[in-house]
Amino acid sequence: MTAVAPTMERAQDAVVTRKVKQRRDWAKWGLATYFVIFLFFLYIPIILMAILSFQGPTGQLTWPFRGPVTLDWWKTLFDSNVINTVADDVRASGEQSLWLSLVAGGIVAVLGFSLSMAFRRRWRFKSDVVAFYVIMLALMTPAFLVGLGNQLLWKFMGQTPDLWKTALGANVIWGIPFSFLVMLAVWNRYDRHIEEAARDLGANAATTFREVTLPLVWTGVFGSFLFGFTLTWNDFDRTILLQNGYQAQPLPILIGTWPSSHPILPNLYALGAGTTAVSLFLIFMVLVAVTLRLRFRGAPVRRAAEEFGDTAGLTGAGGLTARAK
Amino acid sequence: MSSSSTPEPPASDATRVALQEVEEAEAILEQQPPQAERALGEAAARGGGGWVTAVLAAPGFLWIGFYLIAPLVVIILVSFWTRTDTGFSKVWTTANYGDLFHDSTYWHNMLTTFETSLIAVAACLVLGFPVAYFLALKVKSLRMQVALFIIALAPFWTSFLTRALAWTFPLMGTEGALNKSLQQLHVTSGPVSEFSYSLLSVRAAMVQLYILFMITPLFFSLSQVDRAALEAARDLGGNWWRTFREVILPQTMPGIVIGSIFIFVLTMGDYGTVATVGGGNITSVGTLIYSKTTAIEYPQGAASAILLVILLMIGVWVITRFSNLREEL
Repeated sequence: MTAVAPTMERAQDAVVTRKVKQRRDWAKWGLATYFVIFLFFLYIPIILMAILSFQGPTGQLTWPFRGPVTLDWWKTLFDSNVINTVADDVRASGEQSLWLSLVAGGIVAVLGFSLSMAFRRRWRFKSDVVAFYVIMLALMTPAFLVGLGNQLLWKFMGQTPDLWKTALGANVIWGIPFSFLVMLAVWNRYDRHIEEAARDLGANAATTFREVTLPLVWTGVFGSFLFGFTLTWNDFDRTILLQNGYQAQPLPILIGTWPSSHPILPNLYALGAGTTAVSLFLIFMVLVAVTLRLRFRGAPVRRAAEEFGDTAGLTGAGGLTARAK
Repeated sequence: MSSSSTPEPPASDATRVALQEVEEAEAILEQQPPQAERALGEAAARGGGGWVTAVLAAPGFLWIGFYLIAPLVVIILVSFWTRTDTGFSKVWTTANYGDLFHDSTYWHNMLTTFETSLIAVAACLVLGFPVAYFLALKVKSLRMQVALFIIALAPFWTSFLTRALAWTFPLMGTEGALNKSLQQLHVTSGPVSEFSYSLLSVRAAMVQLYILFMITPLFFSLSQVDRAALEAARDLGGNWWRTFREVILPQTMPGIVIGSIFIFVLTMGDYGTVATVGGGNITSVGTLIYSKTTAIEYPQGAASAILLVILLMIGVWVITRFSNLREEL
């Protein structure tokens, strides 16, 4: 971390050190307090929503909290025999969302991995940068523009937009840059001499890839999959324009169009809190994956940016330009 | 670089030998990578084997071409076509744009959205900077840094829509927590109706929903700030403000620029937040375009979208003037 001057007997050094320390601590605690307030600000809406989903039978959408703490509203999501049930819709949408997100995650992981492999092979610099910005375009294009564009394209081709053919494609577009950046970060920290060693020992390209490369980067690929999964699991802006009325709606669409299709009751909050819980669970999976990778790593890392390879942080062409120099 | 540009020194034997060695070394450095390395696939594209790179890149770029580039091209085309009752016909016209320029509702929406975006960028920067600063420079252990960062980042992966929904009744509604607690604290006597389904709540929600796009690049550029320079600035007697302005800020500029671009683009193009938190009372360019497409006014919607994109590009260009990203990254 920071280079602290070695403690020597000279009096002036001691004075300087103490001064710096005092100033730093004060700022640190101030900022820490602010950070806690910030987290509160970040999480409070969803926490309030979750609390309201545990109301009793007379529960409503607003405060105060009514009735005993029950799971009644959660039950309406799963049990089709209770009053106010929405179980059928939720099950259909949940399954649709789950399959869609799984497939999107898989495609995102494969495409991002293969794109990052192409970049690893050091293209000529110029096309490198153009290709990089094309991938970043996928990140920068507003969501509903992608939705509108795809809708018009399919209309132009004389086809009806389809959840699996259109919405899936648009969602994968959103996931590709994330997966690509994650994989670039992984490759930045990857020691390719290991591959050379494997080849020197007589392994062919396929064996090297399967037994050396993949085991070392699988956490990145898995992270890409989770990115693709969660982004699709939560997407509204793209999908709303690209679905048709004949297929079961994914969960976000069900939630988003709830006011026009269902009575608004606290089970909407339960549904929102539930889908959020699934997402949060997946992030902790990512956290575990990252921790596993930390353990594999050899040399100690001093800054988080190094750990993320400075590209995963959406800081743009960082890794790329550094390498090109 | 090259030794030819410097004037030839008096040719003693020693210098001549030295120069020769330098030239040889340069000749080696300029050579293609050695064969052994090429066989290992390193820098293969410079020689043969570029097709492997192409095969690896092809699926991704084909996907992007079909689901991103082609749709964007179609938006441009449709914006110049004529509206029909079922969609559009390929009759070229500029009337869609002509109408838009005289559409005061559109420009009013554009202005409001632009204002919202500016407020969001400024608010995210001011509110997000201390968070990134704390994480990057005040938290010492890497593990702690990563853990806190992920806790702050986690909501980003959860549904925007659900979080936007959480802003409506539970928090900002007339009976929402904010109004209730303000009344409890005797700050206000009755519910403040401006909190629900209003421009204010839309803007507040946007800051909360998008701020992580600012914090992330800030965090990464702040954690790359040279700590030795910070120590040096302090040792040289720079106070906190001067250190911040002359050491930290210049090095953080790329992060600020990237974060601002993200927030600007995302808030200008936002549809979901405005629709949910605004509850139909608030319009933005996004909701306007959406209503045009549901009314099967595709060419008008496309033209509105293209104008929005042009303004976005101008905005992004202006933001990048603050820092030469390609140089500094």
